[in-house]
Parts: sequence; structure tokens; C-alpha cells
Amino acid sequence: MNYLRELPKFEYLAPQSIPEVCEMLAAHEGEAKLMAGGTDLIIMMRRREVVPHYLIGLKSVPELNFIREEKDGGLTIGAMATSWEIQSSSLVRQRYDFLAKTAADIGSIENLHVSTIGGNLCDGFPCVDFPAPLLTLDAKVKLVSQRGERIVPLDGFYLGYQKTAVEPDELLTEIQILPHNHRYGGAYIKFHDRHAIDITTTGAGAFITLDSDGQTARDVKIALTTSAPVPLRVKGAEAALCGRKVTEEATEEAGRIASEEASPRTSWRSTAEFRTKLVQVLVRRALRQAWRKVTTSSSSGAAPDLWLMHPLDPRIGENR
Amino acid sequence: MKQRVPISLTVNGEIHELFIPPWQLLLDTLRDELGLTGAKRCCIEGQCGACTVLIDGKPINSCLYLTIEAQNQEIVTAEGLVEDGKPHPIQKAFVERGAVQCGFCTPGLVVATKALLDQNPNPTEDEIRIALSGHLCRCGAYVQITEAVMAAARETAQKEVGV
Ligand SMILES: Cc1cc2nc3c(=O)[nH]c(=O)nc-3n(C[C@H](O)[C@H](O)[C@H](O)COP(=O)(O)OP(=O)(O)OC[C@H]3O[C@@H](n4cnc5c(N)ncnc54)[C@H](O)[C@@H]3O)c2cc1C
Repeated sequence: MNYLRELPKFEYLAPQSIPEVCEMLAAHEGEAKLMAGGTDLIIMMRRREVVPHYLIGLKSVPELNFIREEKDGGLTIGAMATSWEIQSSSLVRQRYDFLAKTAADIGSIENLHVSTIGGNLCDGFPCVDFPAPLLTLDAKVKLVSQRGERIVPLDGFYLGYQKTAVEPDELLTEIQILPHNHRYGGAYIKFHDRHAIDITTTGAGAFITLDSDGQTARDVKIALTTSAPVPLRVKGAEAALCGRKVTEEATEEAGRIASEEASPRTSWRSTAEFRTKLVQVLVRRALRQAWRKVTTSSSSGAAPDLWLMHPLDPRIGENR
Repeated sequence: MKQRVPISLTVNGEIHELFIPPWQLLLDTLRDELGLTGAKRCCIEGQCGACTVLIDGKPINSCLYLTIEAQNQEIVTAEGLVEDGKPHPIQKAFVERGAVQCGFCTPGLVVATKALLDQNPNPTEDEIRIALSGHLCRCGAYVQITEAVMAAARETAQKEVGV
């Protein structure tokens, strides 16, 4: 039992800055693993699915943990921002309430305090929740190594099951979201068995920007969780809605197209058939919710009525 | 590869200078090095909440946290809620309301409740359920647990206004 209980042995490194992380990654290429919150990595190490010789801790690098507004109005989130910090950030809530809500649902409160957005994007599983809403926002990530830095759109970041664009000597430092200059609304809806624990059976995110006519969708982005080997944009469904009013019939059509674009697999959690049906329903619901926000909200797209304060949020008293 | 490294850990207000393997998890350090067996070793995958402790007031799963990363922070376990040998009002409420059956999930629930009431002294039933949703009770005492948290909240509120 000790074998299963204890982690495999490693040398622990605690860098203080991004250049130091890069130096360590270069020095131990292929032998080192980055450790963010560890909520995925520790489990994989315990199961001996990953056995790194060096563990590079990122909790000691303060410059990786921030959420800030850029001068041009864009939003940048540091890789080490925790799910809790994202869900409670006023900036994220005002801008993209659905992203804050996604963060609030990354497992139990115990998991929110430790899990990070960088770890969520880099583990490369199609079942984690941050990629879909971020894909609908056209997010980009910054990858840094001793060779330099590069900006990679999230659409294209996922190369296959558990395969991302991050090279062994690279580190993801931040997630960038450009400003949206039209009225917009977004939603992310996931289906799962047990709120606090369960990995998402299937999820759908939608983000709609309104045309200046105030009537039709200028642009629509839709992305799916656990519906393909990678987090997936469904561009056919998006195209079907652009320039149109997002009516009930339109959402139904988009849901159908999305379910044809998806290629989910059967696992113990659910059959592929059920997941395909879920895609149809969840895409419709996400679009409905996003459209309601875009047509009823002010410019920001945040609809407070859809958004409950987390019970452990100190601001909860202000809402009573 | 170093088999042990020196670390300094603050648990329940006491500073411990320890010499531990870098791959040791906080749960194992608490139980095996410090003899604090309140935090329970159960699913060891973050699914059940039995190993929950507070780090700087925040509940976390100690089965998924490296001890070496818990330095320079205040760790509180269920043992740490006891004051002058007397159980904390939350602990008392759990006992009095029958929220403790086999007791295995209790220490984790008690510290998670502490974190909840510190932020939200007057939670609704729904808020309690969400805040404690990371905890499994195999005896199924969920109704009593919720009642105990409500009772503890009332008790704490009364203390504060000096009733
Ligand atoms: C009980 C429980 C419930 C959960 N529920 C959910 C859920 O509802 N939704 C969900 O999406 N996930 C869930 N998860 C999974 C997990 O918590 C999240 O995916 C989390 O965001 C991972 O982040 P982390 O910081 O813990 O990553 P880690 O485990 O530290 O890292 C994950 C991987 O990413 C790599 N990595 C980390 N940071 C970087 C970086 N900056 N640059 C490059 N590579 C990096 C690591 O090397 C590792 O391979 C759950 C987990 C548990 C234990």
C-alpha cells in the first residue's frame, strides 16, 4: 500500500522568477515537470503515470499570479491564478461572468483554492472546463523558454489527447483576452453527476457579440468539453448563426450541427451516443443563455441574476 | 537525490522544525511525523474531503498538497480548534446534533465549517450544502451535518453579541 500512497521520489526545485524556471527547464529537459496546484499532477504521480526526476514548483514565483486589465482594455490572467481567485475577481465577474462561473465550478471549495488556470490548460485533457469558455473568447497564451517567448492562440494549442503546443523547455506564463468592443454575452454549461467532484461528462460554451443593429449576431463562438480528443471549437455551428437573430430555431440548428462536428468517445462515465445528444442540448442552452445576456444586459454582458455569489465569498453579506 | 530536507512548518500555532522527504504529502507529515491524526487518509485523490485542513484559513485537501510547499503558512487541523481543552462550538454542535456517526469524515467537515463560518457567519442551508459539497459522509448524516452547521452559526453569533 505504501507504494500507492507515497509519491515517487523527486528532487524539488523552488524557482523565484520566470527566467529561473526557464533555466531549470532547459537544464533538466525531459526530466523535469512543472508543478502548479498539483491537483492533477499529484494524482498522476501517485499512479506512476508521470515519474519526473525534478519537480519545479511554481507556487514560489509571484510574477505568475495576477489578474489584470491591460491599457487597451484587454484582460490578462497569470498561469498561477487559482480557480478561487478567478471566481472572486471583480474584474473577471464584470467582464466575463461565465468565465468566473466556470472557475467557481472547478470541483469542491478545497480544489478551488489550489487548482490553477495554467494547470487546467496544460494538462491537455479534453474534459477540463477552462478551455471551452476561453476558446469562445478567442484567448491566446504566452509560452516562454530560454529560446524566447511566443503567443499561441488557444484554438490550435491542443494537438491531441494530452498533447499541447507547450514544448518540454517551455512554460505557460499567461492567458490573454483581447477587448471586445461590441455588446456581448457568454455562457458555459456543463453536465456532470456530482457537483464537487465529478469531471465534466460534456460541456458547451457560447459567446455572442451583437451587431450594431442591435438585432443580429455579429459573431458567435461555440466550444465543447469532452466531445473530442481535444477541447473543440465547432465552427460549422458558429457559421450557421453569424449575421442571424439567435431564435429558438437557430439554436436548435446550431445544436444539431455541433453534435455532427463533435466526436465524443464512450467511457465509463457515458456513452458516445449520450454525449452526442448532450452536445445538442447544451449548445442550445448555452446559446440561449448567452443571447439572453447580450440582448438584456448593458455593454458588459454580465447578467447578475444568473450569478450566485459563492457561499465562502466574504462579499456574500453585502448581497443580503 | 536528497532523501530528506529541513523544513519549518506552522501547525495549530506551533512551529515544527522537521526533516522530511521532499515528496512527502502534508497529510502524511501531519499524521506520521506530528501524530495529528485528525485529518484522515481516505480516498487520497481529493474526492472525499476527509483529509481537509486549513492553510491560511482556506480549506484544502492535504492529500494533494506537498508539505514542502506548505511552509511559511498557518496550517490548522481539527485538533487546533480545541481551546483550553474545550471543544470548539462547531465541534460541540456536531456532537450534540448527531452529525457524528462513525466520525471518519468529521474532522474534515469541522475545519471546512470553520472556514465557511469565518467568511459567512450566517449561511443558508443551500450555501452550507455547496460549501461542504467536497465532503462525503458514508453514514449519510448529511441532514444532521447541515443542522449542526446552522446550530454552530447561531451559537457563534450569540457569543459575538454577548448573549
Ligand atoms: C476533486 C477534484 C475535482 C476536480 N474537478 C474539476 C472540474 O470540475 N473541472 C476541471 O476542469 N478540473 C477539475 N479537476 C482537475 C484539476 O483540479 C484542474 O484541472 C486544475 O485546474 C489543474 O490545475 P493544477 O494547478 O492543479 O495543475 P497541476 O496538477 O499542477 O498541473 C497539471 C499539468 O499541467 C502542467 N503545468 C502546470 N502549470 C503549467 C504551466 N504554467 N506551464 C506549463 N505546464 C504547466 C503540469 O506539469 C502538469 O502536467 C478536479 C480535480 C480534483 C482533484
